[in-house]
Amino acid sequence: MAEKFASERNIKFLLYEVFDVASLLQYPYYSEHSVEMFDIITDTSMKIGRDLLKPCLMEMDKEPPEFANGTVKVHPVVRTFMQECGEGGWISSIAPFESGGQQLPHMIDFIPRFIFAAANYSASVYPMLTTEAALLIESFGSEELKNTYVPNMFAGKWQGTMALTEPQAGSSLADIATTAEATDKGYYKMRGQKIFISGSEHNGVDNVVQLLLARIKGAPAGVRGISLFVVPNKRFDEQGTLVPNDVNVTGIYHKLGYKGCPICQLSLGEEDDCRGYLVGEPNKGLGYMFQMMNAARIGIGLGAAAIGSAAYYASLEYSRERPQGRRSTEKDPTIPQVPIIEHADVKRMLLFERAVVEGALSFLMQCSKYSDLKMVLTGEEKEKNALLLDLLTPVAKSYPSEMCVWSVSQGLQCLGGYGYCDEFPLEQYYRDVRIHPIHEGTTGIHGITLLGRNVSIQNGKAFQLYLEEINRAIREAEGFAELKDYASELKDATAKLEKTTSCLLSIAKEKGQDVFLADATLYLELFGIVSIAWQWLLQAIAATRALRNQLTEEDVLFYEGKIYTFRYFFGYELVKIEGLVKRLSRTDGLTVDMKQEHFFDGM
Amino acid sequence: MNLIACVKQVPDTEAQIKVKADGSGIEEAGIKWVMNPYDEFGVEEALRLKEKAGGTVTVVSVGPARAMETIRTALAMGAEKGVHITDLDNADAFATASALAAAIKEIPFDLVFCGQRAIDDDSAQVGSILAELLGVPQVTIVTKLEVADNKIKAVKPIEGAQLLIEASMPCVVTAQKGLNEPRYASLPGIMKAKKKPVDVKKAADYGISADFKANVAKMMPPPSRPPGKIIQGDDPAVKAAELVKLLREEAKVI
Ligand SMILES: Cc1cc2nc3c(=O)[nH]c(=O)nc-3n(C[C@H](O)[C@H](O)[C@H](O)COP(=O)(O)OP(=O)(O)OC[C@H]3O[C@@H](n4cnc5c(N)ncnc54)[C@H](O)[C@@H]3O)c2cc1C
Repeated sequence: MAEKFASERNIKFLLYEVFDVASLLQYPYYSEHSVEMFDIITDTSMKIGRDLLKPCLMEMDKEPPEFANGTVKVHPVVRTFMQECGEGGWISSIAPFESGGQQLPHMIDFIPRFIFAAANYSASVYPMLTTEAALLIESFGSEELKNTYVPNMFAGKWQGTMALTEPQAGSSLADIATTAEATDKGYYKMRGQKIFISGSEHNGVDNVVQLLLARIKGAPAGVRGISLFVVPNKRFDEQGTLVPNDVNVTGIYHKLGYKGCPICQLSLGEEDDCRGYLVGEPNKGLGYMFQMMNAARIGIGLGAAAIGSAAYYASLEYSRERPQGRRSTEKDPTIPQVPIIEHADVKRMLLFERAVVEGALSFLMQCSKYSDLKMVLTGEEKEKNALLLDLLTPVAKSYPSEMCVWSVSQGLQCLGGYGYCDEFPLEQYYRDVRIHPIHEGTTGIHGITLLGRNVSIQNGKAFQLYLEEINRAIREAEGFAELKDYASELKDATAKLEKTTSCLLSIAKEKGQDVFLADATLYLELFGIVSIAWQWLLQAIAATRALRNQLTEEDVLFYEGKIYTFRYFFGYELVKIEGLVKRLSRTDGLTVDMKQEHFFDGM
Repeated sequence: MNLIACVKQVPDTEAQIKVKADGSGIEEAGIKWVMNPYDEFGVEEALRLKEKAGGTVTVVSVGPARAMETIRTALAMGAEKGVHITDLDNADAFATASALAAAIKEIPFDLVFCGQRAIDDDSAQVGSILAELLGVPQVTIVTKLEVADNKIKAVKPIEGAQLLIEASMPCVVTAQKGLNEPRYASLPGIMKAKKKPVDVKKAADYGISADFKANVAKMMPPPSRPPGKIIQGDDPAVKAAELVKLLREEAKVI
């Protein structure tokens, strides 16, 4: 089985040569860190990924969680890994020192997350969810909630979840119906049903803490009546022992992939004894939850890129070893076959994978840099980074999610028939990666968010800032003779994105919201391609600069490989915007006009 | 207890090793460096003893500047301080052990751990020479260790049996796989490691010269494997007899 799942070389290239993570060390908040430590963090993460997580990858797929006697039995590595992440400080890594964390820069915190997800996506989800849930309590919870829950979660003893979805409220969170009834004892009585909740009950931890959205009785309808609660599966009684909190698992779903982590259906308050504890103020729950959701969305993008990375290395390894066919110019059938990587079409598939995965990772790191700068800067500069992060979050979630489905598919294709069989991990990666365009908001919903809300944030200020960011890269690239043409291609593409955006915004006024948003998913796709091209230009600048130095043979190959992949992205991917721009400018409202009856074609 | 763990930085077991064209060593470019896996067992055992009985763990390494990352890794696992002797590139086992001995003599020590061998040069000599130079007992290839009353009881596997060996402290123990499961460095550990003291020394500080007793004259890639042989024929019994004959006469393995 393929061994390599992530590239330390690429990670270090992005961290140090493209995004200059060391520049964060000048800010007091991050001044306790050093590059030497970042390297040890990368090393240690690779070791944990390689020795602890990767060996269980296939096992967790073949023996998925089992639901019996009200609980869910998961693979034993879940407990080991949660303990490791608790004791090793990986769950609390970005929390401030005073809350028991390590105040790690987001950019660095990305590294273990990416590596763990590439080694074994299902396993990586348990600590990741716990981090996000605990940070949400840290941000908005009372002192009592913080003291009761956060230390156990940071220690990896208790699992955190985000419990939003209900049967009638998936994409449409406004329809959440779970109720919370105030009591005079400081807690609420919870009643309702949640579905698809990841990690919401399992035997790899001692307790599960749901960060749950519900409606306080009498609250207004819609999103303005949603509140956030902590609902533990077990609560402390007067003696301080953990007793059941009337959170009942009524079933687990059998999924296509990502099988190592259960998603459960929950029924709350069957015996009228489910206690929930309000976080922050009533009716502000969705706003609070967005902190967790936005972090989780970037986490999903990272998870997709991670599976894409593992699939890329597995297909690369296979393509180097599999002899099949001969060069088209070779007429002698007795000559040995060539490894398939010698075929241009196989190289094209591998390049596609690499361009998508490394482009996506770069974009995600760009977003995490905005998170860091938002953290350490003040005033206008802080706001600028916050706006950029806000604008780009749907893209950071959706581009990797959508495109890594394709890139893993191409990886599978490299293996031919073996790609389809379970001796090789590609078929599993293909199933595992398919979740990403669905959870944490479907691609369709993110398209609507990007076009319907984000590009107009503060009258388009965020969008203007984004264009300036790209222009800055273009100007820098113009300083390198080798990159001039590409800089002008990106300039042209960005102009098209800008024009399409203003054209669509005027359609909103002329033809109404429905026509305006009908192709929002395609707009998201266009936006994504331009964004990744920008990231490849940044990488090409770093590689071109490096190639001017005296380098070892390996380094020359690495940077030249980067340049080839960059050229691939511009030559094969960026050109795809032409069709999208054409479609988006044709605002005929086709999908709006057509009635569902038109799908009728006989019984 | 004063515990010492000697660590060496070596190429990762998964690194693709290329021998330099001039036979002077390996191509170092692009190699990932790690702590010698057997040394990891030593570090882990020292940390466990410290956690049980109190004391400090000092890591000592002979190696070029890049070996500092290996020392920091041991500090991140929980060791207290380090000594790094930097200018003995390509040292033989004797010079390495001499440098280690000189450094260790300056620190009070009860127990010194080495890996049973290093996975790069496979010489398996440093621990033993070190014990001689320190004038203390040695127990090599240890898979289980107990410490009580200023004595160690160590288990060492040999062909077909195990030996339980007692030795007085101070002494040198060389660690074998099975001794323990080394821990991963923790994030707080990594944060603290940065501030832990590491003494950087030159061999000359200990009066050791780079005039080695043994030098690698040439490094050659292993000979390429001769092609396999397929025994032809229809009768399995005849083929089996032919196989036995070849194994005995040609391969000389039975
Ligand atoms: C493996 C897995 C893990 C999950 N984990 C969690 C979890 O931990 N916590 C949690 O709360 N939820 C979780 N979910 C639920 C997940 O977030 C939802 O499935 C997702 O948000 C979509 O909701 P839905 O399934 O109800 O689909 P629907 O909302 O019914 O959507 C179906 C389709 O219709 C489209 N659509 C819906 N509304 C619109 C609209 N207004 N405009 C245009 N198109 C629309 C969607 O894009 C989609 O293509 C998980 C789901 C899965 C499969």
